[in-house]
Amino acid sequence: MAANNRSANLNVQHRKGFVLAWVFGMVALLLAPAAIATKYDVNAPTGTHEGEDVAQPIEFPHNIHVKDNGINCMYCHTYARRSKVAGIPPTSKCMGCHKVIATDKPRIKKLTEFWTNKTPPPWKKVHDLPDFVHFTHEIHLKKLVFDRDFPVENVKEVCAFCHGELENMTVAKKVKPLNMGFCVGCHIANKELGAPGDCWKCHK
Amino acid sequence: MNRRNFLKTMGWGGAGAALTGCDLPTTITLEEGKEEVVSYLMPEEYVIPGVGVWYASTCTQCSAGCAIHGRVREGRVLKLEGNPEASLNNGKICMMGQAGVQGHYSPDRVTKPMVRNGDTLTETSWDNAMALLQEKLGAVSGDRFAWFTGTISGHQSALVSNHLDAMGSKQHYVHEVVNNSVSQAVNRDMFGEANPRVRIDKAAMVVSFGADFMGASLSPVHYAGQYAKFRTKKERGLLVQIESKMSLTGGSADLWLPIKPGTEGVLALGMANLLLNKIKVSDAGIPNGVRKLIDEYDISKVAKITGVAGHRIQRVAQLLTERSPSLVLAGPSVEGHAHGYASVAAVMMLNHILGNVGKTIESSGQFPFPQLMAKQGGTADLLAFAEAAKAEKLDAVVFYGSNPVYSAPKALELNEAMNKVGFKVAISQFMDETTEVADLVLPVASYLEDWGTQVPMQQSENSAIHVQQPLMEKLYEDSKGLGDILLSLLKQRNNDEYGKFEDYYAYLRNAFAAMPAAVKNNTTNNNEFWNNTLQKGVIDVASSGGKLKSTVVSFADPVSESANADGLTLVPSPRLGLYDGRHANLPWLQEAPDQISKVVWDSWAEMHPTTAEKLGISNLDLVEVSSAQGSVTLRVVLLKSMHVDAVAVPLGQGHEAYGRYAKGLGVNPLQILDATTDNKTGELAMYSTRVTVKSVGPADSLSIVRMGTGSGDSQAGRKLVATVPVEQLRRTEGS
Repeated sequence: MAANNRSANLNVQHRKGFVLAWVFGMVALLLAPAAIATKYDVNAPTGTHEGEDVAQPIEFPHNIHVKDNGINCMYCHTYARRSKVAGIPPTSKCMGCHKVIATDKPRIKKLTEFWTNKTPPPWKKVHDLPDFVHFTHEIHLKKLVFDRDFPVENVKEVCAFCHGELENMTVAKKVKPLNMGFCVGCHIANKELGAPGDCWKCHK
Repeated sequence: MNRRNFLKTMGWGGAGAALTGCDLPTTITLEEGKEEVVSYLMPEEYVIPGVGVWYASTCTQCSAGCAIHGRVREGRVLKLEGNPEASLNNGKICMMGQAGVQGHYSPDRVTKPMVRNGDTLTETSWDNAMALLQEKLGAVSGDRFAWFTGTISGHQSALVSNHLDAMGSKQHYVHEVVNNSVSQAVNRDMFGEANPRVRIDKAAMVVSFGADFMGASLSPVHYAGQYAKFRTKKERGLLVQIESKMSLTGGSADLWLPIKPGTEGVLALGMANLLLNKIKVSDAGIPNGVRKLIDEYDISKVAKITGVAGHRIQRVAQLLTERSPSLVLAGPSVEGHAHGYASVAAVMMLNHILGNVGKTIESSGQFPFPQLMAKQGGTADLLAFAEAAKAEKLDAVVFYGSNPVYSAPKALELNEAMNKVGFKVAISQFMDETTEVADLVLPVASYLEDWGTQVPMQQSENSAIHVQQPLMEKLYEDSKGLGDILLSLLKQRNNDEYGKFEDYYAYLRNAFAAMPAAVKNNTTNNNEFWNNTLQKGVIDVASSGGKLKSTVVSFADPVSESANADGLTLVPSPRLGLYDGRHANLPWLQEAPDQISKVVWDSWAEMHPTTAEKLGISNLDLVEVSSAQGSVTLRVVLLKSMHVDAVAVPLGQGHEAYGRYAKGLGVNPLQILDATTDNKTGELAMYSTRVTVKSVGPADSLSIVRMGTGSGDSQAGRKLVATVPVEQLRRTEGS
């Protein structure tokens, strides 16, 4: 089916991009470890938002995973580069590690309980857009990471454009406004790179 | 309080604030931490959240059986479109098909088996339900058991027949309000086939006597596709529509001729008279009796009877000879009279005279699987059922896909008849009027959750079986697929033969494996055939060639006495959308305005302004439409797209049950129809009821909503586009 072919092709490209970025990144690390050389520069969106603290069923520590253990965002949010949504990782993915790691911690005990009961934790949504806005993670990652030869191990810097520095948070908190002005401002700033300005690109 | 009064009370301006019942659910919000986002426990193979995959299946919203694609995302079917692999509908579907998801997700679905306990139905388990069926059906034998369905085809239909055989009964009542039974009888007599293939696309000119082929017909998408070709040909096809109430097809016609109800046959004879006597077309093959009848109807007499001006009749006849091949069609408004057969025969005779048979009316050939072909419904079976039930000849009846309690005229006394049926089983998705009076209710899966095969009764050039596969898991654990219910009924009778099939899926796989090699694309690998078929959604089966005969049968004079009488004839008009009332519970279709009058969510009576003036009725008055059988009270809409001697009341509304969206809206004109039947076929003469209309209340433009007519609030008090205060927006989106 057409949809399948399409995503399959993209996967190939992604993989190529992934490898290229990795090689390029390693070379860059050796030659000039201070600056990341990419094909083109992008302007990050501007604006902040005072988000509310959201109580999650498990106080998931992004900081431990990202900062302390250096796990890539896309290891867990694996759909981000293939779909419009980044995806909350399946519980099985959590258990892949936590069957053996930190099993004595209260949060992991709680997770294991969800797993044994065969119900995924009822996570609360933090970042949301209205239904009349078509936002896709896939294209944004393509333009901001893969096409740009941005090192994939540093992808958190790109994610932070809209999600803030998750490495310094436990559970996610909305720190960017994610309103139309925020999106359009960034699209205008990156117009030269092909960021679309047509209404129907998002409102379709 | 019904919706109309409710809105009236609320007034239009400030309705939004008071309609708290219509507020959006609080879980849909942009606020952080309010909505839940649930992940998979285990990732599903091939599923990427946010990425939709299209699967093939088949639409069952009407009996046309169009092949569809459904977009499935995160295990939910979200959108339906036509399947381009099927030449029947060629990648298109109609509004009723689009609204299929709404029936599937309807909050009014029956979710548990229910059994009658005195006056009420109480929930029970499937085990109890099956035990009760075993007991009750075991005690019935022969023709005292019956199935009552709508048009049904494919393997489900074969299983119904097998169940009847196992019960030793021959009673399968097939009922459809929108049907072409009388035309089928005529076609069989004149051409040798009940459903020859109609080729609008091949015609240079179409004269349609009330055939709303693009609207509420038996295959609206197929004919609309043909019509598109007909209109885009190098020499653009010409459409003349002759009817008493403008239909959707009539609205597209080059020439629309209003005709006195029930005189279509006379007009056809008048045209034949012109063709044979004036234009001197050959009269070969026309029986003497008919030839005499034609000669009786000279142009001035015909003009007087039909109300169609003589020069217009002449012009149409002239055009018919200039544009060849042409096609003349007869619709339900021609069929629905005591002289329906004669009228249709007179109309179809024009095809013989004009030499269209074999050109624009083709043989549909021999379908290689006759047992899977559609068993098509009409109204004669409804009458037969009512009679048998009243005579206490039925001990147990299973109802599926038809709602006779709603669609039977009061004159048939069906309520009384139903009380005399010993044990009534309803296999149903919704609590409709028939399900409400059942003794046992079996919740059936929606068509988007079920397996099946459909054989369209109006096939295109490439005849096919359309395959129905579940597009998602069942929403309600306690609902069962139709095929599965049929199998368990069969297992109770004949476990030796059917016990080996675990479920209907297994039965279908077995049936597919047993298909001849030619159909299986010469593959011997059954898995491959099965997978390819599911992917494509269509099994191409070549119908072997047949040849039509072109004869004219003898028929009676198609003029009725009432055609000469003064007064109004009721046109119970079906429309694409609510159809025969089966879609009244789908808000999308209630919301879609009637194609001619623009009315939504209501019933209305349609009249010509001249008639109204004579009766002292003004636009939007409350009127009472009365027949000998009863009356309905509703608003009147005056339109010139009516014949002066007709009053139309659209079908579909007036439900006394059928869920929150359908119940209590409008009126049901079927209730006040006479029980007159066509003299030849015994079909209900639905378009022949004489009525009187009188004004019983003053005009009130607020009590009926007509879209795009420049009155009232465009959202009619409903939150189609929801709004939030600026303060809340700031809070959720930042500033």
